[in-house]
Amino acid sequence: MSNFSTYLKPVLIFAAIILTMPFWFPFLGGYEGLDTKILIWAIFALGFDLLLGYTGYLSFGHAAFFGVSAYITGLMLLHFSDNIIPAMIASVIVTLIIALLIGLLTLKRSGIYFSILTLAFAEMFHSAALSMFQDWTGGDNGLTGIPTPMLFGLRMQDMTVYYFVAIIAIILFYVAIRISRSPFGIMLRAIKSNQHRLEFTGVNVYKYKVFAFVVSAFYATIAGSLMVIYEPYVASEFLDWSTSGHLVIMSVLGGVGTLFGPMFGAAFMLYFENVVSVPLGEQWLLALGLMFMMVVIFLPGGFVDGVRKLKRKFAAKEEA
Amino acid sequence: MSGQLINQIFLQVMTGLQLGAIYVLIALGLTLIFGTLGVVNFAHGALYMLGAYLAVNIANSIGFGWAIVVVPFVLFAFGIAMERGLIRFFYNRPHTDQILVTFGLAIVIQEVLKWIFGANNLPFSMPSWGSGIVRMHEWVPFLEGFVAYPKWRLILIAVSFATVFGVFALLQFTRFGLIIRAGMRDPDMMKFLGVNISRRFTIVFGLGALIAGIAGIFGGPVTQVDPEVGMHMLVPSFLVVVIGGMGSIPGAVLAGFLLGMALSFTAEYAAIQQIIIYLVAVVVLLVRPRGLFGQKGLME
Amino acid sequence: MTKEKTNNSADWSRRKVLKAGAASAVALSTPMFFTRNAWAEKEAIGNFPIKGSSVKFGFNVPQTGAYADEGADELRAYKLAVKHLNGGGGMLNTLKPSSLKGNGVLGKKVEYVTGDTQTNPDAARTAARRMIDRDGVIMYGGGSSSAVAIAQQYLAQEKGVVFMCGLTHSNDTTGKDKRRYGFRHFFNAYMSGKALGPILAKEYGKDRRAFHLTADYTWGHTQYQSIKEFTEKEGWTTVNNIMTPLKSTDFSQFLTSVLNSDADVLVLNHYGKNMINSLSQAVEFGMREMQKNGKQMEIVVPLYSRLMAQGAGAANIDGVFGSTNWNWTLQDEGSQAFVKAFVKEYGFPPSQAAHTCYVQTLLYANACEMAGTFYPPEVIKAMEDFEFEGTSPGKTLYRGADHQCFKDILVVKGKAPSKQSGKYDLLDIVSQAKREDVIYPADTFKGELGPYKPA
Repeated sequence: MSNFSTYLKPVLIFAAIILTMPFWFPFLGGYEGLDTKILIWAIFALGFDLLLGYTGYLSFGHAAFFGVSAYITGLMLLHFSDNIIPAMIASVIVTLIIALLIGLLTLKRSGIYFSILTLAFAEMFHSAALSMFQDWTGGDNGLTGIPTPMLFGLRMQDMTVYYFVAIIAIILFYVAIRISRSPFGIMLRAIKSNQHRLEFTGVNVYKYKVFAFVVSAFYATIAGSLMVIYEPYVASEFLDWSTSGHLVIMSVLGGVGTLFGPMFGAAFMLYFENVVSVPLGEQWLLALGLMFMMVVIFLPGGFVDGVRKLKRKFAAKEEA
Repeated sequence: MSGQLINQIFLQVMTGLQLGAIYVLIALGLTLIFGTLGVVNFAHGALYMLGAYLAVNIANSIGFGWAIVVVPFVLFAFGIAMERGLIRFFYNRPHTDQILVTFGLAIVIQEVLKWIFGANNLPFSMPSWGSGIVRMHEWVPFLEGFVAYPKWRLILIAVSFATVFGVFALLQFTRFGLIIRAGMRDPDMMKFLGVNISRRFTIVFGLGALIAGIAGIFGGPVTQVDPEVGMHMLVPSFLVVVIGGMGSIPGAVLAGFLLGMALSFTAEYAAIQQIIIYLVAVVVLLVRPRGLFGQKGLME
Repeated sequence: MTKEKTNNSADWSRRKVLKAGAASAVALSTPMFFTRNAWAEKEAIGNFPIKGSSVKFGFNVPQTGAYADEGADELRAYKLAVKHLNGGGGMLNTLKPSSLKGNGVLGKKVEYVTGDTQTNPDAARTAARRMIDRDGVIMYGGGSSSAVAIAQQYLAQEKGVVFMCGLTHSNDTTGKDKRRYGFRHFFNAYMSGKALGPILAKEYGKDRRAFHLTADYTWGHTQYQSIKEFTEKEGWTTVNNIMTPLKSTDFSQFLTSVLNSDADVLVLNHYGKNMINSLSQAVEFGMREMQKNGKQMEIVVPLYSRLMAQGAGAANIDGVFGSTNWNWTLQDEGSQAFVKAFVKEYGFPPSQAAHTCYVQTLLYANACEMAGTFYPPEVIKAMEDFEFEGTSPGKTLYRGADHQCFKDILVVKGKAPSKQSGKYDLLDIVSQAKREDVIYPADTFKGELGPYKPA
């Protein structure tokens, strides 16, 4: 019974925040469209945290899943049907198969090799999309001419898209929380703290790692698909290393391993890029880069950890 | 073999050497740093970029010759500062943290350069003593007809070989090199023997940065100098290090020149050209994870 | 136990409140969503109707990336256009027929916002969306890359906001990717090919073997196709073509392939920084001094501009043939009015990129005046099949079937440093190709414009 509230409380708070976002966001300088983008990246970051935060494996290649899923959704909408459901299903199936293959191959190696390998795979997909597959992907142009996505007669535009994404985000957040508090989640954290010791106890660590990787890729896949539904255009940049790089930055800034942290990081980074950048100018990424380094050096737990420390300080002050 | 064919192969080999030259220099620094400190320096491409930016500014104001003298020293100092001021706090932290902090540093350096110099590239022309063509057919006996190659690119190849040789000589023939090689094998043993290995390793980090600086001076006119070039050079260089074997210097050199050759000989087949390095890296990592010359068991 | 119970009931009521709150929030928002359109007499499309006494234009130009030099000039031209629209001057005095009065557009003062496309379609779209969603622009323009232009045209069609292309040369922009909400004044690769083919054959002979290096994206591809088509018509052979990645800065491996072939002409389908690098490197590799097949090796750059010539250096551009949309040395009334105003404002003559952006802005404003409204379908109809003069030599037609302008264009040759009469006198106008010689039937390229209302 108490389990209910531990799962539902964060989800409900989250739901309350994002369902009302279109109303309070403009007061912060946000505009329509930006809130949808924030939610999509939040989903992306959430999945990434399930990998980095729980298993400790740093992937520099998640852009591959985001981008491939986006391209497949786009191509399905363009050539098959403008209904988003078959498009999303196709994206999930194809991208997860690719993720499984990549995961099986890369997770055999240690953390550093894993990071480099994931980066290599992502760059490979990026180059292939620009050259070998340009007849399909549109090359440097990107995938253009995608019709307005429909959900059984509902045009996916503006507010409709926002609430569709919001509902998916709420569901996925709930799923993430359940995973993290499940025995599986505990296993993942054991992998992060000492993989070899776990292996000695007879656990098939490899299996858990691959599963976590695929789950993480699933979130990336959904995010990529939603991105195309929100903005019917696929840019080759979706597969660029900087997409993976931004994901890393926002997750670390927010607080790796806290689920909520990376989502907040996503909101923070996008807000910074689109709203704060106006007075700050071109240097928003410099400011974020510096913040990132400060966090890595002094506050590795990110924003969430920072808040926790502040809370403790105030609690201590009260007691004293 | 027909004269035409020999000419063609010769030209493609020259281009391969020249393309590989820059990657070799960057990979050399990367592998040295990894082999000694065990640090994967995601900021190494940014060091190359710093070298190039410094070089172009000095060359355009007081002359290219000064750039050749000044830049290596500045980069050496920067490397030492980087190691002492930042990296050494991360030796006891998880590997991912090392990657994250050097990645962050790379982004910061990139953005600072963008801020100061703008996002467009700075024109970096070759000095007059380095421009023009060399009539290769006057030097190489088996060439027929008129075969020319840009002088600067030949200089680049020569500089690359000289640097590699210099590093090799340093490691093989000096006492310092002996200590480094021993430290790469077993740093703890060196500490027990009373050798201040961490100070030596700091110097190696500076050395890695210095080599990246040299690459920046001579490679700058070829790759152009803009804020994106750092990351652009880093990814293939990483893969070169991985293919050659992490911590192996002959591996980095061989893999770097091989990559250059691959790029040169596949120039006409654009589709393959773009992805060849990634394919090779993935295959090597799966089949022989330690790379061409890497040590078994290290980082597998 | 009892503690749990009280917690539960507290939880339940909190949940109820939250649920109700969320539901009412959604409910409250829907009416606004559906009734927004009921306000204007003409339905709302894009950012029409405009509220307030000013109208906003958006200028999305490459401020960074391969085409940044052109982008800077485009922005200068846009600012000048807004100045003239609001206060008269420049081509307002030469454009015929013109309904512009020099007091803004339809009585509203013109303001503008800018964005950076970074020579990258995704960044361009993001900036464009910002200008449309946040800043409320009624029209936006700019861009120096066809990929960027095409991406923005599609966005224009989706959002119902007119896009006036900047510098885009690909056939696709008004060919297979033509859109009702997009308009292009600048010429295209097909016209370049048609104009250049005969002149190249006359100058270099009909028995030439050409090797192409092509920027690997829409513009490069279409220019390669057009140049190949028109040179082969004259008797040339196309030996090979290599698609070079747009981000390349070092072309040495491709140039080596060129040297290794039996081609005696190098055609560079490159623009901006790509062209500056590839041309300089080609010269570095000794291609100007070489003899192949008993002939002097030649280099052709089918599209280049004075800005690129400056970047490549006069020594490298000497004698290289190409084509341009316009040049500041043209003596017709409209061109001179623009050049004089630009020089007065900035101290140096404008590039072809500046010219096309300036003209596009004036044409859009004029169309609004002619239509008497900002309502996009009416403005679009006013521009279609509009014939005008006073912006460049001769009469220009804005063809309705594909939203492409047809006018006289120029074949140029780079000037040797010794022959230049000033820092900006880099191009020799070899010939002015007449509009009737470069025009082609509307069905030469596939693609459909699409509807007048946003899709």
